[in-house]
Amino acid sequence: MKVGIPRALLFYKNEKLWTKFFDELGIEYIISPETNKEIIENGSKYAIDETCLPIKIFLGHVDYLKDKCDYVFIPVIKTAQNTETCLNFRAQFDLIKNAFRKDDLKILFYNEDSGKKYKEPKAFKKLCKYLKIKRSLGKYAYRLAKQTQLYYEFFRTERQEDIMNTTNKLKVLVSAHAYNVGDKYVGEPIINMLKKLNVEPIIAEYFDAKKCYNASLQVSKTMPWSYNRHLLGAIELYRDKVDGIVLITTYPCGPDSMCNEMIIRTYKDIPIITLTIDAQDATAGIETRLEAFYDMLNAKKE
Amino acid sequence: MKGYLGIDIGSISTKGVVIDEDNNIIASEYLYTEGDPMGAVKRLLKVLETQLQGKDVNIVSVGTTGSARKLIGVMTNASVVKNEITAHAIGTTTLHPDVNTIFEIGGQDSKIILIENGYVVDYAMNTLCAVGTGSFLSSQAHRLGVSVEEFGEIALRSKHPTNIAARCTVFAESDLVHKAQIGHSKEDIIAGLCKAVVTNYLNNIGKGKKFTPPIVFQGGVSKNVGVKKAFEDAVGHEVIVDPNGHLMGAFGVAVLAKRSNIEKDFSFDIIDTNFKTIGFDCQKCANHCEIVCVYKDNKLIDAWGNKCDNGAVKIS
Repeated sequence: MKVGIPRALLFYKNEKLWTKFFDELGIEYIISPETNKEIIENGSKYAIDETCLPIKIFLGHVDYLKDKCDYVFIPVIKTAQNTETCLNFRAQFDLIKNAFRKDDLKILFYNEDSGKKYKEPKAFKKLCKYLKIKRSLGKYAYRLAKQTQLYYEFFRTERQEDIMNTTNKLKVLVSAHAYNVGDKYVGEPIINMLKKLNVEPIIAEYFDAKKCYNASLQVSKTMPWSYNRHLLGAIELYRDKVDGIVLITTYPCGPDSMCNEMIIRTYKDIPIITLTIDAQDATAGIETRLEAFYDMLNAKKE
Repeated sequence: MKGYLGIDIGSISTKGVVIDEDNNIIASEYLYTEGDPMGAVKRLLKVLETQLQGKDVNIVSVGTTGSARKLIGVMTNASVVKNEITAHAIGTTTLHPDVNTIFEIGGQDSKIILIENGYVVDYAMNTLCAVGTGSFLSSQAHRLGVSVEEFGEIALRSKHPTNIAARCTVFAESDLVHKAQIGHSKEDIIAGLCKAVVTNYLNNIGKGKKFTPPIVFQGGVSKNVGVKKAFEDAVGHEVIVDPNGHLMGAFGVAVLAKRSNIEKDFSFDIIDTNFKTIGFDCQKCANHCEIVCVYKDNKLIDAWGNKCDNGAVKIS
């Protein structure tokens, strides 16, 4: 049996967890390649025009995998840190099932809902049952995988904090979802542009999720969407250590459109720019804005 | 005498300014790009060359800005290639050191720049939508059968500007046709359009920002007195329009070229040099990047557009 993992959306948050889990159980898997233009174009064909760019990318990755494996791994995570995620994450199973109804796609289903019955260990237990894997074996594999993921995140956070405290360069906090900042087509060009301008990009996503979530409660008690809370908390915690904030949002992201607006209105004493990414090819507009932002921060520092 | 050349190549118009060491404008020109930035720059340089004849000016440094800044920067061997936001801010603060707010409406984009003590503290630029920019106004002017130049004058004659929905160009256009059909006068409609541009600008780009006077209004649309008046009515402060407002980007980048202290050879000979660009789709990976190569006298001098190293063009 061969499992296909789409390199999109939640993959960027759980890469080590999933790959290590399958590794431990000796299940063969392939991961779709980095996003490119072809994947986006194919994904757009499956999506209605109002869906957001990350979903189109996700559909493109599933499309890439559909004849290359037996099962496509479609994870659904309904809540994280006891707060609900964007509806698009909850709808993924139905969305994929419907979009690919003609392709006879076999789906490996994973359902996590930390608020209710299916917390992460239980969700994995159910996954093992479906895969017909012995319970003890599955439990062991999950624990190892979870540990790998946690170590990975811990060292990533530590390394970033090190850089943040020691560098002399201008520092910019990049507030973008994991699947945007990690994507080769969406986030990477922006990160590279920042590096080219001799700016140190500090990725909000790399900070500790729990800590950020708690910090976000001080700003808003009612805001939904767990992953946006992560970013908001990172801004609340680290805004004094950076020179400016870049908000990257993909068009048309519902949660971002509300949360970023709130961020702009809450933090008035720090320079913020919003970059809206669609499937457009020309990076000139973004380059212009980033350069001007850099000039502004530089003048301020001097 | 040393001279510094600044070129601002926008989507609609190309602006060129030559300044001396005391920031005085000694030559300037404004002409339409007509979709051919390289040709426009050649025409521009020809005009500037004739304006400089008889004056002993030696251009030591060139700066370029605007959407075609990179291309023209390569063509003119520029010392400074800067984005238009910074260029406008530098230009305006040089001429009006006390300015706090800059409204700028150009052919394709519009921006707002907030300045405190001579430094840019905040800016915003229109994103995916071009409503309320110069090209919108000129297409509507064409529809109404008046030239853009007299647009402002006509608007001032109106006593009751018509309300026109300015959320989207498409809606604005159909609204405009409808209002004309039910009998609103041309003056009122034109004044309404000016008002709509301003409302849209303040709602979109100026959203949540504080406009502290002195306010300078520039860019091509600033020549339109109707829009200027609409701005004054909406903001409640006097809005300054500099006679050289349309040249401010070019002026700013000339100042930047002067400040950079990088002196490079420049001669007006490039008017007769053959420049051409060739674009092709890179087929080396699935991204199919559009790569542009710039040739000077059939010799490759620069190339860009590649997303990864696979598509890098070697310049010998």
